[in-house]
Amino acid sequence: MSKIGLTTTVPVEVIYAAGHTPVDLNNIFITGSEAMKRLEEAELAGYPRNVCGWIKGLYSTALQNPDIRQIVAVTQGDCSNTHALMETWEVEGIEIIPFAFPYDRDPDMLRLQMDKLISVLGTTWQDVNEQKKRLDQVRSLAGEIDRLTWEENRVSGFENHLYLVSCSDFNGNPEGFGHEMEEFIQVARMREPLSASSPGAVKGKKREIRLGYIGVPPIFPELYDYLEDHGARVVFNEVQRQFAMPFNTPDIVEQYRLYTYPYKVFLRIEDIAREAERRQLDGIIHYTQSFCYRQIEDQIIRKKLDYPILTLEGENPTGLDARNKMRLESFLSMIED
Amino acid sequence: MSGQQTICGIDLGSRSVKIALMEEKAEGEELEIIRLESLDTIRFYREYGRKQGDKLAVDFTALGLPEVDRLVSTGYGRNTLELAGGEAIPELKAHVWGAIFQTGLQDFTLVDLGGQDSKIIQVQKGRMIDFLTNDKCAASSGRYLENMATILDLSLDELGEYTEAPVELNSTCAVFGESELIGKIVEGFPLPELAAGVNTTIVRRILPLLRSFRGEVIVFTGGVAHNQAVAKLLEEGSGRRIVIPPEPQYNGAIGCCVYATR
Repeated sequence: MSKIGLTTTVPVEVIYAAGHTPVDLNNIFITGSEAMKRLEEAELAGYPRNVCGWIKGLYSTALQNPDIRQIVAVTQGDCSNTHALMETWEVEGIEIIPFAFPYDRDPDMLRLQMDKLISVLGTTWQDVNEQKKRLDQVRSLAGEIDRLTWEENRVSGFENHLYLVSCSDFNGNPEGFGHEMEEFIQVARMREPLSASSPGAVKGKKREIRLGYIGVPPIFPELYDYLEDHGARVVFNEVQRQFAMPFNTPDIVEQYRLYTYPYKVFLRIEDIAREAERRQLDGIIHYTQSFCYRQIEDQIIRKKLDYPILTLEGENPTGLDARNKMRLESFLSMIED
Repeated sequence: MSGQQTICGIDLGSRSVKIALMEEKAEGEELEIIRLESLDTIRFYREYGRKQGDKLAVDFTALGLPEVDRLVSTGYGRNTLELAGGEAIPELKAHVWGAIFQTGLQDFTLVDLGGQDSKIIQVQKGRMIDFLTNDKCAASSGRYLENMATILDLSLDELGEYTEAPVELNSTCAVFGESELIGKIVEGFPLPELAAGVNTTIVRRILPLLRSFRGEVIVFTGGVAHNQAVAKLLEEGSGRRIVIPPEPQYNGAIGCCVYATR
Protein backbone atom coordinates (compact mmCIF):
# COMPACT_ATOMS: atom_id res chain seq x y z
CA MET A 1 0.00 0.00 0.00
CA SER A 2 1.45 3.34 -1.05
CA LYS A 3 0.46 6.94 -1.48
CA ILE A 4 -0.55 8.03 -4.96
CA GLY A 5 -0.69 11.73 -5.74
CA LEU A 6 -3.48 13.36 -7.78
CA THR A 7 -3.39 16.62 -9.76
CA THR A 8 -7.17 16.90 -9.58
CA THR A 9 -10.17 14.65 -9.05
CA VAL A 10 -9.88 11.28 -10.81
CA PRO A 11 -11.81 8.04 -10.24
CA VAL A 12 -10.34 7.46 -6.76
CA GLU A 13 -12.37 4.26 -6.48
CA VAL A 14 -9.69 2.65 -8.63
CA ILE A 15 -6.88 3.78 -6.34
CA TYR A 16 -8.69 2.56 -3.24
CA ALA A 17 -9.55 -0.73 -4.97
CA ALA A 18 -5.86 -1.25 -5.71
CA GLY A 19 -5.16 -0.86 -2.01
CA HIS A 20 -3.39 2.50 -2.31
CA THR A 21 -4.05 5.83 -0.64
CA PRO A 22 -4.92 8.79 -2.89
CA VAL A 23 -3.45 12.15 -1.96
CA ASP A 24 -4.91 15.22 -3.66
CA LEU A 25 -1.80 17.39 -3.96
CA ASN A 26 -3.96 20.53 -4.14
CA ASN A 27 -5.25 19.90 -0.64
CA ILE A 28 -1.87 19.39 1.00
CA PHE A 29 -0.40 22.34 -0.88
CA ILE A 30 -3.05 24.83 0.17
CA THR A 31 -3.54 23.61 3.75
CA GLY A 32 0.21 23.57 4.39
CA SER A 33 1.58 26.47 6.42
CA GLU A 34 4.19 27.28 3.79
CA ALA A 35 2.08 27.39 0.65
CA MET A 36 3.75 30.55 -0.64
CA LYS A 37 7.16 29.00 -0.09
CA ARG A 38 6.16 26.02 -2.27
CA LEU A 39 5.30 28.45 -5.01
CA GLU A 40 8.60 30.28 -4.73
CA GLU A 41 10.48 26.97 -4.86
CA ALA A 42 8.83 26.19 -8.18
CA GLU A 43 9.86 29.59 -9.53
CA LEU A 44 13.41 28.99 -8.37
CA ALA A 45 13.33 25.66 -10.18
CA GLY A 46 12.45 27.52 -13.36
CA TYR A 47 8.66 27.82 -13.49
CA PRO A 48 7.74 31.15 -15.10
CA ARG A 49 6.18 33.84 -12.97
CA ASN A 50 3.15 34.06 -15.25
CA VAL A 51 1.99 30.49 -14.68
CA CYS A 52 -0.88 29.36 -12.47
CA GLY A 53 -0.08 29.29 -8.76
CA TRP A 54 -1.71 25.89 -8.33
CA ILE A 55 0.58 24.26 -10.90
CA LYS A 56 3.64 25.70 -9.18
CA GLY A 57 2.35 24.74 -5.75
CA LEU A 58 1.62 21.19 -6.87
CA TYR A 59 5.08 20.82 -8.37
CA SER A 60 6.97 21.58 -5.15
CA THR A 61 4.43 19.89 -2.90
CA ALA A 62 5.02 16.55 -4.62
CA LEU A 63 8.79 16.96 -4.33
CA GLN A 64 8.44 17.83 -0.63
CA ASN A 65 6.64 14.54 -0.02
CA PRO A 66 9.10 11.84 -1.03
CA ASP A 67 6.70 9.07 -0.01
CA ILE A 68 4.65 9.97 -3.09
CA ARG A 69 6.35 8.02 -5.88
CA GLN A 70 3.42 7.84 -8.31
CA ILE A 71 1.04 10.54 -9.49
CA VAL A 72 -2.15 10.21 -11.49
CA ALA A 73 -2.16 13.32 -13.67
CA VAL A 74 -5.16 14.54 -15.63
CA THR A 75 -4.05 15.18 -19.19
CA GLN A 76 -7.45 16.07 -20.60
CA GLY A 77 -10.20 17.82 -18.70
CA ASP A 78 -7.77 20.10 -16.92
CA CYS A 79 -5.26 22.61 -18.21
CA SER A 80 -2.38 21.78 -20.51
CA ASN A 81 0.08 23.19 -17.99
CA THR A 82 -0.39 19.80 -16.37
CA HIS A 83 1.54 18.22 -19.27
CA ALA A 84 4.66 20.22 -18.50
CA LEU A 85 4.09 19.65 -14.80
CA MET A 86 4.08 15.89 -15.39
CA GLU A 87 7.26 16.13 -17.38
CA THR A 88 9.11 18.15 -14.74
CA TRP A 89 8.08 15.54 -12.16
CA GLU A 90 9.20 12.73 -14.41
CA VAL A 91 12.65 14.33 -14.61
CA GLU A 92 12.73 14.15 -10.82
CA GLY A 93 12.01 10.43 -10.94
CA ILE A 94 8.29 10.39 -10.11
CA GLU A 95 6.21 7.86 -12.03
CA ILE A 96 3.33 9.49 -13.90
CA ILE A 97 0.05 7.76 -14.66
CA PRO A 98 -1.90 9.83 -17.19
CA PHE A 99 -5.67 9.97 -17.09
CA ALA A 100 -7.84 11.70 -19.71
CA PHE A 101 -11.46 12.74 -19.36
CA PRO A 102 -12.79 12.61 -22.95
CA TYR A 103 -13.89 16.13 -23.93
CA ASP A 104 -17.07 14.84 -25.60
CA ARG A 105 -17.99 12.72 -22.54
CA ASP A 106 -18.00 9.60 -24.68
CA PRO A 107 -18.84 6.74 -22.29
CA ASP A 108 -16.73 4.17 -24.16
CA MET A 109 -13.67 6.39 -24.14
CA LEU A 110 -14.13 7.11 -20.45
CA ARG A 111 -14.56 3.41 -19.69
CA LEU A 112 -11.38 2.71 -21.62
CA GLN A 113 -9.48 5.32 -19.59
CA MET A 114 -10.71 3.75 -16.38
CA ASP A 115 -9.83 0.31 -17.77
CA LYS A 116 -6.27 1.45 -18.30
CA LEU A 117 -6.04 2.92 -14.81
CA ILE A 118 -7.40 -0.36 -13.41
CA SER A 119 -4.81 -2.41 -15.21
CA VAL A 120 -1.89 -0.07 -14.39
CA LEU A 121 -2.77 -0.19 -10.69
CA GLY A 122 -3.60 -3.89 -10.82
CA THR A 123 -7.20 -4.12 -9.67
CA THR A 124 -10.57 -5.22 -11.13
CA TRP A 125 -13.90 -3.63 -12.08
CA GLN A 126 -15.56 -5.68 -9.39
CA ASP A 127 -13.33 -4.23 -6.68
CA VAL A 128 -13.78 -0.75 -8.12
CA ASN A 129 -17.56 -1.10 -7.91
CA GLU A 130 -17.24 -2.26 -4.30
CA GLN A 131 -15.25 0.88 -3.58
CA LYS A 132 -17.91 3.02 -5.23
CA LYS A 133 -20.47 1.69 -2.74
CA ARG A 134 -18.07 2.41 0.11
CA LEU A 135 -17.30 5.96 -1.03
CA ASP A 136 -20.90 6.79 -1.92
CA GLN A 137 -21.79 6.37 1.75
CA VAL A 138 -19.21 8.99 2.66
CA ARG A 139 -20.33 11.22 -0.22
CA SER A 140 -23.90 11.15 1.07
CA LEU A 141 -22.63 12.74 4.30
CA ALA A 142 -21.01 15.53 2.27
CA GLY A 143 -24.36 15.90 0.50
CA GLU A 144 -26.06 16.34 3.86
CA ILE A 145 -23.54 19.06 4.85
CA ASP A 146 -24.30 20.79 1.59
CA ARG A 147 -28.04 20.61 2.24
CA LEU A 148 -27.56 21.98 5.75
CA THR A 149 -25.69 24.88 4.13
CA TRP A 150 -28.31 26.10 1.72
CA GLU A 151 -31.58 24.68 3.01
CA GLU A 152 -31.17 25.02 6.74
CA ASN A 153 -28.49 27.71 6.73
CA ARG A 154 -26.57 26.04 9.54
CA VAL A 155 -23.20 25.65 7.81
CA SER A 156 -20.75 28.39 6.86
CA GLY A 157 -19.38 28.83 3.35
CA PHE A 158 -15.91 27.79 4.45
CA GLU A 159 -17.10 24.64 6.22
CA ASN A 160 -19.05 23.70 3.13
CA HIS A 161 -15.96 24.32 0.99
CA LEU A 162 -13.68 22.32 3.25
CA TYR A 163 -15.81 19.18 3.55
CA LEU A 164 -16.82 19.06 -0.09
CA VAL A 165 -13.36 19.78 -1.47
CA SER A 166 -11.93 17.00 0.70
CA CYS A 167 -14.04 14.48 -1.21
CA SER A 168 -11.44 14.46 -3.99
CA ASP A 169 -9.34 12.03 -1.90
CA PHE A 170 -11.43 11.59 1.30
CA ASN A 171 -8.29 12.66 3.17
CA GLY A 172 -6.89 9.22 2.39
CA ASN A 173 -9.19 7.65 4.96
CA PRO A 174 -12.86 7.45 3.92
CA GLU A 175 -14.16 5.99 7.19
CA GLY A 176 -12.20 8.43 9.34
CA PHE A 177 -13.33 11.34 7.19
CA GLY A 178 -16.91 10.05 7.24
CA HIS A 179 -16.81 9.88 11.01
CA GLU A 180 -15.52 13.45 11.16
CA MET A 181 -18.40 14.58 8.97
CA GLU A 182 -20.96 12.72 11.09
CA GLU A 183 -19.72 14.54 14.17
CA PHE A 184 -19.82 17.86 12.34
CA ILE A 185 -23.36 17.23 11.13
CA GLN A 186 -24.50 16.59 14.70
CA VAL A 187 -23.01 19.89 15.85
CA ALA A 188 -24.35 21.81 12.85
CA ARG A 189 -27.89 20.50 13.31
CA MET A 190 -27.95 21.99 16.81
CA ARG A 191 -26.94 25.43 15.60
CA GLU A 192 -29.17 28.43 15.16
CA PRO A 193 -29.49 29.29 11.46
CA LEU A 194 -26.53 31.46 10.46
CA SER A 195 -28.72 33.61 8.27
CA ALA A 196 -30.28 35.05 11.41
CA SER A 197 -27.03 35.77 13.20
CA SER A 198 -24.87 37.20 10.45
CA PRO A 199 -23.09 40.49 11.20
CA GLY A 200 -25.05 41.94 8.32
CA ALA A 201 -28.31 41.14 10.07
CA VAL A 202 -26.96 42.62 13.27
CA LYS A 203 -25.94 45.85 11.52
CA GLY A 204 -29.55 46.27 10.53
CA LYS A 205 -29.02 45.38 6.92
CA LYS A 206 -31.93 43.80 5.17
CA ARG A 207 -30.99 40.12 5.16
CA GLU A 208 -28.10 37.81 4.53
CA ILE A 209 -26.92 37.88 0.92
CA ARG A 210 -26.84 34.38 -0.60
CA LEU A 211 -23.92 33.81 -2.90
CA GLY A 212 -22.76 31.12 -5.26
CA TYR A 213 -19.04 30.50 -5.68
CA ILE A 214 -18.14 29.04 -9.05
CA GLY A 215 -14.81 28.08 -10.57
CA VAL A 216 -11.83 26.27 -9.11
CA PRO A 217 -11.45 26.40 -5.32
CA PRO A 218 -9.95 29.72 -4.17
CA ILE A 219 -6.25 30.11 -3.49
CA PHE A 220 -7.33 32.40 -0.64
CA PRO A 221 -9.95 30.53 1.44
CA GLU A 222 -10.08 33.62 3.72
CA LEU A 223 -12.64 34.80 1.18
CA TYR A 224 -15.45 32.94 2.92
CA ASP A 225 -15.00 34.55 6.30
CA TYR A 226 -14.54 37.96 4.71
CA LEU A 227 -17.90 37.60 2.99
CA GLU A 228 -19.59 36.48 6.19
CA ASP A 229 -18.16 39.48 8.04
CA HIS A 230 -19.88 41.62 5.42
CA GLY A 231 -23.33 40.08 5.64
CA ALA A 232 -23.09 37.55 2.83
CA ARG A 233 -22.63 33.77 2.81
CA VAL A 234 -21.65 31.31 0.14
CA VAL A 235 -24.40 28.69 -0.02
CA PHE A 236 -23.19 27.04 -3.21
CA ASN A 237 -19.64 25.95 -3.94
CA GLU A 238 -19.85 24.72 -7.50
CA VAL A 239 -16.67 22.73 -8.13
CA GLN A 240 -16.29 21.57 -4.55
CA ARG A 241 -19.81 20.12 -4.78
CA GLN A 242 -18.82 18.41 -7.99
CA PHE A 243 -15.86 16.85 -6.17
CA ALA A 244 -18.39 15.31 -3.77
CA MET A 245 -20.31 13.84 -6.76
CA PRO A 246 -23.92 14.16 -5.63
CA PHE A 247 -25.14 12.01 -8.50
CA ASN A 248 -27.69 9.33 -8.06
CA THR A 249 -26.31 6.59 -10.29
CA PRO A 250 -25.13 3.04 -9.62
CA ASP A 251 -22.88 3.16 -12.70
CA ILE A 252 -19.39 4.47 -12.01
CA VAL A 253 -18.71 5.43 -15.61
CA GLU A 254 -21.91 7.43 -15.65
CA GLN A 255 -20.88 9.05 -12.37
CA TYR A 256 -17.71 10.39 -13.94
CA ARG A 257 -19.69 11.54 -16.96
CA LEU A 258 -22.09 13.51 -14.79
CA TYR A 259 -19.14 15.14 -13.06
CA THR A 260 -19.04 18.51 -14.83
CA TYR A 261 -15.59 19.92 -14.10
CA PRO A 262 -13.52 18.32 -16.89
CA TYR A 263 -15.97 18.83 -19.73
CA LYS A 264 -17.49 21.69 -21.72
CA VAL A 265 -18.31 24.85 -19.83
CA PHE A 266 -21.95 24.52 -20.98
CA LEU A 267 -22.44 21.45 -18.82
CA ARG A 268 -21.17 23.40 -15.85
CA ILE A 269 -23.45 26.32 -16.66
CA GLU A 270 -26.51 24.02 -16.69
CA ASP A 271 -25.54 22.70 -13.30
CA ILE A 272 -24.88 26.20 -11.93
CA ALA A 273 -28.20 27.56 -13.24
CA ARG A 274 -30.12 24.67 -11.69
CA GLU A 275 -28.46 25.04 -8.30
CA ALA A 276 -28.64 28.85 -8.32
CA GLU A 277 -32.39 28.61 -8.77
CA ARG A 278 -32.82 25.93 -6.13
CA ARG A 279 -30.63 27.75 -3.60
CA GLN A 280 -32.10 31.17 -4.37
CA LEU A 281 -28.85 32.94 -4.98
CA ASP A 282 -28.61 36.72 -5.01
CA GLY A 283 -25.33 36.75 -6.88
CA ILE A 284 -22.42 34.69 -8.11
CA ILE A 285 -18.68 35.01 -7.64
CA HIS A 286 -16.74 33.54 -10.53
CA TYR A 287 -13.25 32.82 -9.29
CA THR A 288 -10.51 32.38 -11.81
CA GLN A 289 -6.87 31.75 -11.20
CA SER A 290 -4.44 34.25 -12.76
CA PHE A 291 -3.12 33.00 -16.10
CA CYS A 292 -5.76 30.23 -16.27
CA TYR A 293 -7.50 29.31 -19.51
CA ARG A 294 -10.76 29.37 -17.61
CA GLN A 295 -10.51 33.18 -17.59
CA ILE A 296 -11.50 32.98 -21.25
CA GLU A 297 -14.67 31.12 -20.31
CA ASP A 298 -15.71 33.99 -18.06
CA GLN A 299 -17.33 35.76 -21.01
CA ILE A 300 -19.54 32.72 -21.71
CA ILE A 301 -20.52 32.40 -18.08
CA ARG A 302 -21.48 36.09 -17.97
CA LYS A 303 -23.49 35.74 -21.13
CA LYS A 304 -25.39 32.61 -20.09
CA LEU A 305 -26.11 33.20 -16.42
CA ASP A 306 -28.64 35.83 -15.56
CA TYR A 307 -27.29 36.80 -12.14
CA PRO A 308 -25.06 39.59 -10.88
CA ILE A 309 -21.59 38.13 -11.38
CA LEU A 310 -18.32 39.24 -9.87
CA THR A 311 -15.21 37.85 -11.51
CA LEU A 312 -12.55 37.50 -8.89
CA GLU A 313 -8.96 36.74 -9.73
CA GLY A 314 -6.47 35.12 -7.39
CA GLU A 315 -2.80 34.47 -7.89
CA ASN A 316 -0.86 33.61 -4.74
CA PRO A 317 -1.78 32.03 -1.41
CA THR A 318 -1.12 35.28 0.43
CA GLY A 319 -4.62 36.14 1.55
CA LEU A 320 -7.19 38.54 0.17
CA ASP A 321 -5.59 41.74 -1.07
CA ALA A 322 -7.02 45.24 -0.72
CA ARG A 323 -8.04 45.34 -4.37
CA ASN A 324 -10.11 42.17 -4.20
CA LYS A 325 -11.64 43.31 -0.90
CA MET A 326 -12.68 46.51 -2.63
CA ARG A 327 -14.27 44.50 -5.42
CA LEU A 328 -16.12 42.21 -3.01
CA GLU A 329 -17.45 45.12 -0.98
CA SER A 330 -18.65 46.92 -4.06
CA PHE A 331 -20.30 43.76 -5.34
CA LEU A 332 -22.15 43.20 -2.07
CA SER A 333 -23.29 46.80 -1.89
CA MET A 334 -24.46 46.55 -5.49
CA ILE A 335 -26.58 43.49 -4.68
CA GLU A 336 -27.92 45.12 -1.55
CA ASP A 337 -29.16 48.25 -3.31
CA MET B 1 -30.13 67.69 11.52
CA SER B 2 -31.15 71.10 10.23
CA GLY B 3 -29.48 74.09 8.71
CA GLN B 4 -26.08 74.39 7.19
CA GLN B 5 -23.48 71.64 7.26
CA THR B 6 -19.96 71.33 5.94
CA ILE B 7 -18.88 67.99 4.60
CA CYS B 8 -15.42 66.71 3.84
CA GLY B 9 -15.01 63.89 1.33
CA ILE B 10 -11.65 62.18 1.03
CA ASP B 11 -10.64 59.84 -1.76
CA LEU B 12 -7.51 57.95 -0.72
CA GLY B 13 -6.04 57.16 -4.11
CA SER B 14 -2.93 55.21 -4.96
CA ARG B 15 -1.08 58.24 -6.33
CA SER B 16 -2.85 61.16 -4.72
CA VAL B 17 -5.31 61.91 -1.97
CA LYS B 18 -8.21 64.04 -3.16
CA ILE B 19 -10.14 66.17 -0.70
CA ALA B 20 -13.46 67.85 -1.42
CA LEU B 21 -15.01 70.34 0.96
CA MET B 22 -18.68 70.87 0.28
CA GLU B 23 -21.45 72.78 1.90
CA GLU B 24 -25.14 72.13 2.24
CA LYS B 25 -26.76 75.50 2.96
CA ALA B 26 -29.98 74.00 4.22
CA GLU B 27 -31.27 70.48 4.43
CA GLY B 28 -32.33 69.16 1.06
CA GLU B 29 -30.59 71.93 -0.85
CA GLU B 30 -28.02 71.25 -3.55
CA LEU B 31 -24.45 70.80 -2.36
CA GLU B 32 -21.88 73.41 -3.23
CA ILE B 33 -18.18 72.85 -3.70
CA ILE B 34 -16.13 75.13 -1.46
CA ARG B 35 -12.68 73.74 -1.96
CA LEU B 36 -10.86 70.95 -3.76
CA GLU B 37 -7.41 69.80 -2.78
CA SER B 38 -5.06 67.13 -4.06
CA LEU B 39 -2.02 65.84 -2.19
CA ASP B 40 0.61 63.27 -2.99
CA THR B 41 -0.43 60.03 -1.25
CA ILE B 42 2.90 59.34 0.41
CA ARG B 43 3.15 62.91 1.63
CA PHE B 44 -0.41 62.79 2.97
CA TYR B 45 0.26 59.71 5.06
CA ARG B 46 3.69 60.84 6.19
CA GLU B 47 2.94 64.44 7.10
CA TYR B 48 -0.70 64.55 8.04
CA GLY B 49 -1.59 61.02 9.12
CA ARG B 50 -1.03 59.21 12.37
CA LYS B 51 -2.07 55.70 13.24
CA GLN B 52 -4.57 55.62 16.07
CA GLY B 53 -5.37 52.03 16.97
CA ASP B 54 -6.38 50.51 13.65
CA LYS B 55 -7.57 53.84 12.30
CA LEU B 56 -5.88 56.77 10.65
CA ALA B 57 -6.10 60.09 12.42
CA VAL B 58 -5.63 63.04 10.08
CA ASP B 59 -4.32 66.39 11.23
CA PHE B 60 -6.90 68.64 9.56
CA THR B 61 -5.55 71.80 11.10
CA ALA B 62 -2.13 71.17 9.59
CA LEU B 63 -3.87 70.56 6.28
CA GLY B 64 -5.46 73.96 6.61
CA LEU B 65 -8.98 72.58 6.62
CA PRO B 66 -11.77 73.95 8.80
CA GLU B 67 -13.86 71.97 11.26
CA VAL B 68 -16.39 69.89 9.39
CA ASP B 69 -19.71 68.36 10.37
CA ARG B 70 -19.24 65.14 8.45
CA LEU B 71 -16.21 63.24 7.23
CA VAL B 72 -16.60 60.51 4.64
CA SER B 73 -13.72 58.66 3.02
CA THR B 74 -13.23 56.13 0.29
CA GLY B 75 -10.50 54.78 -1.91
CA TYR B 76 -7.75 52.30 -2.17
CA GLY B 77 -6.50 52.99 1.35
CA ARG B 78 -9.91 52.26 2.74
CA ASN B 79 -9.38 48.60 3.45
CA THR B 80 -6.04 49.10 5.06
CA LEU B 81 -6.88 52.16 7.10
CA GLU B 82 -10.12 53.75 8.08
CA LEU B 83 -10.16 57.44 8.89
CA ALA B 84 -10.74 58.19 12.56
CA GLY B 85 -13.89 60.18 13.21
CA GLY B 86 -15.21 59.44 9.77
CA GLU B 87 -17.24 56.98 7.84
CA ALA B 88 -15.85 54.87 5.02
CA ILE B 89 -17.87 53.94 1.96
CA PRO B 90 -17.16 51.54 -0.92
CA GLU B 91 -15.09 53.17 -3.62
CA LEU B 92 -17.22 52.32 -6.61
CA LYS B 93 -20.30 53.66 -4.85
CA ALA B 94 -18.56 56.96 -4.19
CA HIS B 95 -17.65 57.25 -7.85
CA VAL B 96 -21.19 56.52 -8.98
CA TRP B 97 -22.63 59.20 -6.71
CA GLY B 98 -19.97 61.68 -7.73
CA ALA B 99 -20.74 61.11 -11.39
CA ILE B 100 -24.50 61.42 -10.94
CA PHE B 101 -24.01 64.64 -8.97
CA GLN B 102 -21.60 66.13 -11.47
CA THR B 103 -23.41 65.21 -14.68
CA GLY B 104 -27.05 64.96 -13.67
CA LEU B 105 -27.21 61.72 -15.67
CA GLN B 106 -28.87 58.54 -14.44
CA ASP B 107 -27.91 56.07 -17.16
CA PHE B 108 -24.30 55.84 -18.26
CA THR B 109 -21.10 53.84 -18.29
CA LEU B 110 -18.55 55.31 -15.93
CA VAL B 111 -14.94 54.96 -17.03
CA ASP B 112 -12.58 56.02 -14.27
CA LEU B 113 -8.90 55.94 -15.10
CA GLY B 114 -6.83 56.81 -12.06
CA GLY B 115 -3.23 56.58 -10.96
CA GLN B 116 -3.12 52.78 -10.93
CA ASP B 117 -6.72 51.69 -11.17
CA SER B 118 -9.08 51.47 -14.09
CA LYS B 119 -12.74 51.06 -13.28
CA ILE B 120 -15.72 50.62 -15.51
CA ILE B 121 -19.15 50.83 -13.92
CA GLN B 122 -22.53 50.46 -15.55
CA VAL B 123 -25.11 52.77 -14.01
CA GLN B 124 -28.78 52.30 -14.74
CA LYS B 125 -31.48 54.52 -13.25
CA GLY B 126 -28.90 55.89 -10.85
CA ARG B 127 -27.79 52.47 -9.59
CA MET B 128 -24.65 50.47 -10.18
CA ILE B 129 -25.60 47.25 -11.97
CA ASP B 130 -22.23 45.90 -13.11
CA PHE B 131 -18.57 46.76 -12.88
CA LEU B 132 -15.09 45.72 -13.87
CA THR B 133 -11.73 46.78 -12.45
CA ASN B 134 -8.19 46.16 -13.62
CA ASP B 135 -5.91 43.76 -11.87
CA LYS B 136 -2.31 42.61 -12.07
CA CYS B 137 -1.45 45.33 -14.54
CA ALA B 138 -1.57 49.11 -14.37
CA ALA B 139 -0.52 49.71 -17.95
CA SER B 140 -3.69 51.63 -18.75
CA SER B 141 -3.40 54.04 -15.88
CA GLY B 142 -2.32 57.56 -15.12
CA ARG B 143 1.04 56.36 -13.88
CA TYR B 144 1.78 55.02 -17.34
CA LEU B 145 0.97 58.40 -18.87
CA GLU B 146 3.15 60.18 -16.32
CA ASN B 147 6.12 57.96 -17.07
CA MET B 148 5.73 58.27 -20.80
CA ALA B 149 5.34 62.06 -20.61
CA THR B 150 8.59 62.23 -18.65
CA ILE B 151 10.42 60.23 -21.31
CA LEU B 152 9.04 62.50 -24.04
CA ASP B 153 9.82 65.55 -21.92
CA LEU B 154 6.22 66.76 -22.20
CA SER B 155 3.80 68.00 -19.59
CA LEU B 156 0.67 65.85 -19.17
CA ASP B 157 -1.39 68.56 -20.87
CA GLU B 158 0.98 68.66 -23.84
CA LEU B 159 0.90 64.88 -24.12
CA GLY B 160 -2.88 65.11 -24.35
CA GLU B 161 -2.76 67.16 -27.54
CA TYR B 162 -1.80 64.37 -29.92
CA THR B 163 -3.99 61.78 -31.59
CA GLU B 164 -2.78 61.66 -35.21
CA ALA B 165 -0.60 58.98 -36.81
CA PRO B 166 0.22 57.10 -33.61
CA VAL B 167 3.34 54.93 -33.53
CA GLU B 168 2.69 51.28 -32.78
CA LEU B 169 3.46 50.44 -29.14
CA ASN B 170 2.80 46.80 -28.34
CA SER B 171 4.32 46.12 -24.98
CA THR B 172 1.73 44.86 -22.49
CA CYS B 173 3.85 46.08 -19.60
CA ALA B 174 4.06 49.73 -18.51
CA VAL B 175 7.72 49.38 -17.63
CA PHE B 176 8.78 47.58 -20.82
CA GLY B 177 6.64 50.15 -22.61
CA GLU B 178 9.20 52.77 -21.62
CA SER B 179 12.07 51.04 -23.37
CA GLU B 180 9.84 50.40 -26.36
CA LEU B 181 9.07 54.12 -26.56
CA ILE B 182 12.77 54.96 -26.28
CA GLY B 183 13.37 52.56 -29.16
CA LYS B 184 10.86 54.50 -31.26
CA ILE B 185 12.57 57.78 -30.37
CA VAL B 186 15.84 56.30 -31.60
CA GLU B 187 14.14 55.20 -34.82
CA GLY B 188 13.41 58.87 -35.41
CA PHE B 189 9.62 59.11 -35.12
CA PRO B 190 8.44 62.69 -34.59
CA LEU B 191 7.20 63.72 -31.16
CA PRO B 192 3.50 64.11 -32.13
CA GLU B 193 3.40 60.53 -33.42
CA LEU B 194 5.12 59.20 -30.31
CA ALA B 195 2.70 61.07 -28.03
CA ALA B 196 -0.26 59.87 -30.09
CA GLY B 197 1.06 56.32 -29.75
CA VAL B 198 1.07 56.59 -25.96
CA ASN B 199 -2.51 57.92 -25.90
CA THR B 200 -3.69 55.23 -28.30
CA THR B 201 -2.18 52.49 -26.15
CA ILE B 202 -4.33 53.49 -23.18
CA VAL B 203 -7.52 53.49 -25.21
CA ARG B 204 -6.69 50.18 -26.85
CA ARG B 205 -6.53 48.56 -23.42
CA ILE B 206 -9.81 50.07 -22.27
CA LEU B 207 -11.94 49.28 -25.32
CA PRO B 208 -12.07 45.47 -24.82
CA LEU B 209 -13.17 46.04 -21.22
CA LEU B 210 -15.95 48.32 -22.43
CA ARG B 211 -17.28 45.75 -24.85
CA SER B 212 -19.69 44.10 -22.42
CA PHE B 213 -21.01 47.40 -21.10
CA ARG B 214 -23.89 48.71 -23.15
CA GLY B 215 -25.09 52.29 -23.15
CA GLU B 216 -24.97 55.45 -25.18
CA VAL B 217 -22.99 57.65 -22.85
CA ILE B 218 -19.61 57.28 -21.21
CA VAL B 219 -18.85 59.46 -18.21
CA PHE B 220 -15.09 59.73 -18.15
CA THR B 221 -13.42 60.49 -14.80
CA GLY B 222 -10.12 60.14 -12.98
CA GLY B 223 -6.92 62.05 -13.64
CA VAL B 224 -6.57 60.54 -17.11
CA ALA B 225 -9.79 62.30 -18.16
CA HIS B 226 -7.74 65.51 -18.28
CA ASN B 227 -6.00 64.06 -21.31
CA GLN B 228 -7.94 65.44 -24.28
CA ALA B 229 -6.44 62.98 -26.73
CA VAL B 230 -7.45 59.93 -24.70
CA ALA B 231 -11.00 61.28 -24.46
CA LYS B 232 -11.15 61.88 -28.22
CA LEU B 233 -9.74 58.44 -29.04
CA LEU B 234 -12.10 56.81 -26.56
CA GLU B 235 -15.03 58.54 -28.22
CA GLU B 236 -13.93 57.45 -31.69
CA GLY B 237 -13.09 53.91 -30.62
CA SER B 238 -16.26 53.24 -28.66
CA GLY B 239 -18.64 55.17 -30.90
CA ARG B 240 -20.33 56.58 -27.83
CA ARG B 241 -20.76 60.08 -26.49
CA ILE B 242 -18.22 61.08 -23.87
CA VAL B 243 -19.13 63.32 -20.97
CA ILE B 244 -16.32 64.66 -18.81
CA PRO B 245 -17.62 66.18 -15.58
CA PRO B 246 -16.19 69.52 -14.42
CA GLU B 247 -13.95 67.89 -11.80
CA PRO B 248 -13.06 64.42 -13.12
CA GLN B 249 -10.24 63.86 -10.67
CA TYR B 250 -12.31 64.77 -7.61
CA ASN B 251 -15.26 62.62 -8.59
CA GLY B 252 -14.75 60.09 -5.76
CA ALA B 253 -14.22 62.76 -3.12
CA ILE B 254 -17.33 64.63 -4.30
CA GLY B 255 -19.25 61.34 -4.22
CA CYS B 256 -18.32 60.94 -0.54
CA CYS B 257 -19.89 64.31 0.22
CA VAL B 258 -23.00 63.40 -1.76
CA TYR B 259 -23.29 60.20 0.28
CA ALA B 260 -23.28 62.21 3.50
CA THR B 261 -26.40 64.11 2.48
CA ARG B 262 -28.41 61.07 1.45
